[in-house]
Amino acid sequence: MATQITLRTCRKLSQVLFLFLFLLLFRLTDYSGLDEIPYAVNIFFRWDPLVAATVLLATKTFISLLLPSLVIIALTVVFGRVFCGWICPMGTLLDGAGKVIHPSLQPNRLLRLVKYILLAVILTSSLFGLQLVGFFDPFSILIRGMTVGVDPVFNLLVSGFFDPIYRYAPQWLSNLSEPIYTALRDSVLPHRQSFFLLSTLSTSILIAVVALEKLGKRFWCRNLCPLGALLAIFSRFSLFRRFPGRSCKECQHCAPSCRMGAFDPTSRHIRHEECNLCMDCVDNCVNQPSRFRFLLPDNRLQIDISRRAFIGAGLAGMALPLLSQVNAGDRLPRPTLLRPPGADAEEFFSKCVRCGECMKVCIQNALQPCFMESGYEGMFTPRLIPRIGYCELNCTLCGQVCPTGAIHNLSHSEKKAFVIGRAVFDKARCLPFADNSPCIVCEEHCPTHDKAIKFEEVTVVKQNGESIDLRQPYVIPELCIGCGICENKCPLPGHSAVRVLSTSTTSGDEEYGYGAYNEKDNLQKRSMS
Amino acid sequence: MDRRNFLKQVAVFSSGILLAEPVFRITPDLLAAEAVAPILSIGTGKNYTSLVSSVLQPLGGMAAFVKPGDHVVIKPNIGWDRRPEQAANTHPEIVRAVVELAIMAGAKTVQVFDRTCNEERRCYVNSGIKPALDAMDSRKVQCNYIDERKFIPVTIEKGKSINKWSFYKDALQADCYINIPVAKHHGLARLTLGMKNTMGVIGGNRGKIHGNMGQNLADLNTVIRANLTIIDATRILLRNGPQGGSLKDVKVLDTVLASPDPVAADAYATTLFGLKPDEIDSTRAAAEMGLGEMDLNKMDIRTV
Repeated sequence: MATQITLRTCRKLSQVLFLFLFLLLFRLTDYSGLDEIPYAVNIFFRWDPLVAATVLLATKTFISLLLPSLVIIALTVVFGRVFCGWICPMGTLLDGAGKVIHPSLQPNRLLRLVKYILLAVILTSSLFGLQLVGFFDPFSILIRGMTVGVDPVFNLLVSGFFDPIYRYAPQWLSNLSEPIYTALRDSVLPHRQSFFLLSTLSTSILIAVVALEKLGKRFWCRNLCPLGALLAIFSRFSLFRRFPGRSCKECQHCAPSCRMGAFDPTSRHIRHEECNLCMDCVDNCVNQPSRFRFLLPDNRLQIDISRRAFIGAGLAGMALPLLSQVNAGDRLPRPTLLRPPGADAEEFFSKCVRCGECMKVCIQNALQPCFMESGYEGMFTPRLIPRIGYCELNCTLCGQVCPTGAIHNLSHSEKKAFVIGRAVFDKARCLPFADNSPCIVCEEHCPTHDKAIKFEEVTVVKQNGESIDLRQPYVIPELCIGCGICENKCPLPGHSAVRVLSTSTTSGDEEYGYGAYNEKDNLQKRSMS
Repeated sequence: MDRRNFLKQVAVFSSGILLAEPVFRITPDLLAAEAVAPILSIGTGKNYTSLVSSVLQPLGGMAAFVKPGDHVVIKPNIGWDRRPEQAANTHPEIVRAVVELAIMAGAKTVQVFDRTCNEERRCYVNSGIKPALDAMDSRKVQCNYIDERKFIPVTIEKGKSINKWSFYKDALQADCYINIPVAKHHGLARLTLGMKNTMGVIGGNRGKIHGNMGQNLADLNTVIRANLTIIDATRILLRNGPQGGSLKDVKVLDTVLASPDPVAADAYATTLFGLKPDEIDSTRAAAEMGLGEMDLNKMDIRTV
């Protein structure tokens, strides 16, 4: 009995440890005082076989960053869906939520095939270049929701508690509260309050996944998770299995309480691909010593989806990439849609899994999730919005944390040369032109060397007849990398009088702003020089 | 208004009892103080730590400014994500030397901060200033990031161009405020020196200051009255200021100058760039307001 309890305790311990690791890595996804992040903060994506599979299919190239996913596949082939039961932080979160919201109904077992359909659609779409994994991958949902909603709200709540004490309470009280606040800021809180577009939408998806727990234990994992479906397919071949392979007649202990609903109600056989090895049935067993041991794969039950249905779903899924290809939106210029520095010119969409890591790490809060600016296909992909935050010249963090190489990990010299966009002045609003008043805050902040924003010294006669010496700024396009600090710091209210516009073109030969320009060529050229 | 009075107002204001704002006006005693020729000390040397200390000697040493038990604010320029040799920020050795002298003079706490232009953590780290101060491992030294809650609105009564702006509480409350800018080129202001460095303790949309910069800076400096200005000209940025980025624009002078008169310090530092003091708007505006002396001939200049 003692060993049986240990097994479940081990599982819980493992879940807590991996959840802690996950949260720790989330917190470490930040500037640490070093130019390089010394930890593999994106490891949960890099060992995610679903991410690896879709990126592999979409790009048709092998990406070494995603090698750790082989470890999870190997683990699954030997031990089954142990990843879902022992490691996955989303699963842990759902188990924890289940303890609070008490799943009520036993869900319809037919729903289980939904996850396979999703998997089939995601895989075929990615084969044709449409990357949908970010909408359904558990880590994408989790990290994006945490980055865009949970973490900023957490900071808002904590500072909302301490700030009024600091501002209005008597000195002795704030003398007590401030050290606590400082300690929190140095440990669990983000460095600064961040703000994100789509904070409600992104986080609602995460909340919905958790809320589905009300319909049944591990509702998401059983019925919807495409990563779970992929691992389920692998675990059909796994060797470490429950023995005996069916629940005992008359005994009502393990089968009804199985969190994955893995026991077939009529034949009493365990659906091994659904089992996540939580060890509850071992621990709860009263009659016969049920246990897990190495056995040859012997699947008495068919998988929940037939091969024909799986392939059918995949073929039907081909409609999505085809429809995307005839979307006229792609033929329109998107001048204000800027991508992060190092964004892959050709395969950004195929590689980006919408995980939100780049937005989490961006020290200026500049990277924001897209909504429909590049179609639903581009939703949650990162864009740079200079008026919210600019791109810090010497910072290369977004490329470092990107798990798939959608944003290249640029060296310092590559980063300084990478063209995000080009600044363009709006002389109808810019103060030295429109108002005859001195300013050139943009020139002051322009970080390139030589400065991409220079000024011309002119003498103008004001309306009242008074003449004034002014410095009027202008951009030297060849020097501008589109970091956006000028747009960010422009002191005008509302829109900036200098705006960074995208230089990439939609059809390749169309000209926008400063002319046709190929980002990829540029990246290669600059990195060679 | 004297410091005691001012502190009272700040204390009363910040405790929330009275919703009045601190008010600053230039008083006759300030103008009277002009009669004495302002002293300015300048020195050259490779060892910046001893250079700072010897430059302060003619002024009476740090003890003439920092009294035992004082809460001292030392305001370097940490504005940019640049390395020390790029001359965009005050040299970390200079900052550390000033901090050490203040502590030796008996300071109770020494606060070092700046409202940066680039991301604050990158600036604090890559300027070398935070690492240098952290290495001192002294509880008295606080090199913290700006806390937005500490900006309080201030009425600048005698401001000619701006009459209201928010200032950093710690800078307003300091017993002794030591300004240690780096001397460098600036596109609009031509040079950024001590007066301009005060922009690092103000809140709000600082870009607006650029509208009438010379006078605005002088107005701000009626609020923040540096007890001592030490200008770091160990290396100066000649072009592409205020952040530079290339060593081609940097000239090594190994020079430090100091004065209790902020205008005199700026005026003299201007000559290091081959310019005349009155070519800098803020120096001229401040001298006109009686904040200090800009005529080099009326200064008591000591070379060490």
